[in-house]
Amino acid sequence: MSNAIEIRGVRKTFGSKVAVENLDLSVPEGSLYGFIGPNGAGKSTTIRMIMSIIFPDRGELRVLGKASAIESKDRIGYLPEERGVYKKMKVGVFLNYIARLKGIDAAAADKRVKEWLIRVGLQETYRKKCEELSKGMQQKVQFITSVIHEPDLLILDEVFTGLDPVNRRLMRELIQEQNDRGATIIFSTHAMREAEELCDNIFMIHKGVKVIDSSLEDVWRKYDPKIMVVEPISRTDLARGWSALPGVRAAEEKDGLIELSLHEGAEVGELMRQAAALAPVRRLEIKRASLEDIFISIVGAGGGETIEQLRMELAADKGADSQELAEVTRG
Amino acid sequence: MGKVFIIAWREFLAIVATKAFILGLLLPPAIMTLLMFALPLLMNKKPPTVYGHIALIDQSGKVTPRLVDAYDPVKQKERKEQRDKAVQEQVAAGIKSMGVDDKTAGAIKQQMDANPAASQAANIVAETNLILQVLPPETPVEDARQAILKATGREKAEDGHAARLALLVIPKNAVEAEKEENGQPKFGAFQLLTAPRLNVEVQSDIRDQARRAIVDTRLTDAGQNVDRVRALMARPEVEEKAVTASGDSKINAAAKMLVPGAFMFLLWISVFSSGQYLLMSTIEEKSSRVMEVLLSAVSPLQLMLGKIIGKGAVGLLILALFSSAGVAALIFFAMADLIAWENLVLLFVYFIIAYVIVACLMASIGAAVNDINEAQTLMTPVMLILVVPMMLWFPILNNPNSTFAVVCSFVPLINPFVMVLRICGSEAIPMWQIPVSIVVGLATVVFMCWASAKIFRIGVLMYGKPPNFSTLIKWVRMA
Repeated sequence: MSNAIEIRGVRKTFGSKVAVENLDLSVPEGSLYGFIGPNGAGKSTTIRMIMSIIFPDRGELRVLGKASAIESKDRIGYLPEERGVYKKMKVGVFLNYIARLKGIDAAAADKRVKEWLIRVGLQETYRKKCEELSKGMQQKVQFITSVIHEPDLLILDEVFTGLDPVNRRLMRELIQEQNDRGATIIFSTHAMREAEELCDNIFMIHKGVKVIDSSLEDVWRKYDPKIMVVEPISRTDLARGWSALPGVRAAEEKDGLIELSLHEGAEVGELMRQAAALAPVRRLEIKRASLEDIFISIVGAGGGETIEQLRMELAADKGADSQELAEVTRG
Repeated sequence: MGKVFIIAWREFLAIVATKAFILGLLLPPAIMTLLMFALPLLMNKKPPTVYGHIALIDQSGKVTPRLVDAYDPVKQKERKEQRDKAVQEQVAAGIKSMGVDDKTAGAIKQQMDANPAASQAANIVAETNLILQVLPPETPVEDARQAILKATGREKAEDGHAARLALLVIPKNAVEAEKEENGQPKFGAFQLLTAPRLNVEVQSDIRDQARRAIVDTRLTDAGQNVDRVRALMARPEVEEKAVTASGDSKINAAAKMLVPGAFMFLLWISVFSSGQYLLMSTIEEKSSRVMEVLLSAVSPLQLMLGKIIGKGAVGLLILALFSSAGVAALIFFAMADLIAWENLVLLFVYFIIAYVIVACLMASIGAAVNDINEAQTLMTPVMLILVVPMMLWFPILNNPNSTFAVVCSFVPLINPFVMVLRICGSEAIPMWQIPVSIVVGLATVVFMCWASAKIFRIGVLMYGKPPNFSTLIKWVRMA
């Protein structure tokens, strides 16, 4: 299978600031790729270079087999991070305009616009001015602009920000639909939970440098923390001899839970049976590292920042996110 | 190229298909038409007849008969008719002096005669019904002037004749010189005392009649034939014509200034308003963040081109509507020979040059800033380009072929405006200067497009601190 995107040794600077350094990336056709990292990591810069909106200082880029996205703009759908609508324009007219710019002829454009508005539940807004729409509704209209021409490559930059939970689910469905149709999808987010739920592949970037680029399964396998969590029904059972179980290196009590650190190559099935026999438990699970934990463990190990700083950076992102969410629910 | 035109069409409609634009276009002509009809109607209202007495103390004893004759009711009516005729002739002469040939001037006169509203616009001369009251020569002036105080200036027929509107005092020395200066007789002045609110026309009529009566008396005393002297003194008519290859043409100083000025103003208005539209729409796209959505479908250059073409079409529409309205008006008034048709073509050529230059500046500024306030500081140089031609208007029109004017014709940025002034002016300019100035203009256009494309490409994606001019220049140098 050929690659929808090929990036080789790309570097981009803005003045003295290095935005992206020595980047290699291959996005196979038909894949669903998540670009993750905190704000300012270089996600949008990478995406803009893929879109030929800005150009790398060094290195090589191929998009859909061409040297530049400009040559195949009509096959690419792009939802930029900085996006908006013409406030005074009617929704239908706006979508028709964008559809025409994407190379769809006038007659087909209007039909598709109406179909899409129905699909996202905004059929009543066809004749409304864009400024009359809520932020979440505008977001859906913007999403339509990126998919109306059925692109082979769909790039969604921070697509989930500003959406309420219901619309987040709708958006996930829509993205999945596009992927099922055969489109290669790249989406960037700083909300790593979305990425965990959606993508098959992860591209993680921090301060312009790639830190992870592999399938999600490989990520889980590689960053398996080898921790089993046990939650006994009775708190008195917390004091049992958990550390004596086979394959357990250490046991630690934490807020009514026992965290067992396992030896490399521990027999998990046997361990679980024995743990359940030791005391009645409410929960017994092998802990999977969250992308956030993985990100922090990787970056924290190499970078000059403390783990607390990184956690705060990510928390700040979440804060911004939930603030936007609050705005949406208020609106 | 197709996408560029889709953008251009939207940009065009976004301005033209708004109520504000349509109103803005229709309102000025509507007001003009209203004035054209309303003014004659108002002016058609006859001013009230002036009734009253003019008292005369003729200390020379010689002028009285002539003044009595002048204020004979029949003579008064004759004078009023003559004045009406004079006003109409002045209007006709005014039209004629603007360079219309006799045949069309006659046609205008016919039209005016056919249209009572227009011809009676001359009806501003008040009708008079004045009675000359001859007082004995020895009457003290102080006593006679008391009666004037009672006049209100709005006397009616019933009570009017009781009021004294004016008092003429003609001393002996006004008619018979008492002394000589350099061997010529030296005469004294006469007095005219009037009610404070006397109709100006009436006042000047009394003054004129008194002067005339005095001069006539002097002439008669000197043994001259009054009618003959007056015939000799008649002001010679003048016929001015400019000699051109295609024949002599009548010239008119006012039209000489007005027509090029009007065309430059037209150019200025259309360039400025379409440039302004471009600035606003670029800022809107940037601040509403619709910019990058557009850039996902088209390249920055396509977007900029589309926007410039679209707003340029708005400017051309304004230019075409107003210039055709102007030409239509000139044709209606049979003054079409004031405009040379090749100049209209040049007007459009210079519009394109001036517009693209201003549009490039506006697009760069709009792309570089985040909102309209930030644009203000960067607008200063643009305003300079737009203000300078206005200041050059008079110096260049007065002397279209001065070194100054010629140099200005080749200064980039302002040369389209200067050239429009010069080519529409009366003095012919050397033919070579037109193509050279167009080449200079086109070179500026190419440079501006190149520079602004760079600024636009970088600017549209820049948010945050607004750049200053040195940053813009840095952007041009980058990549």
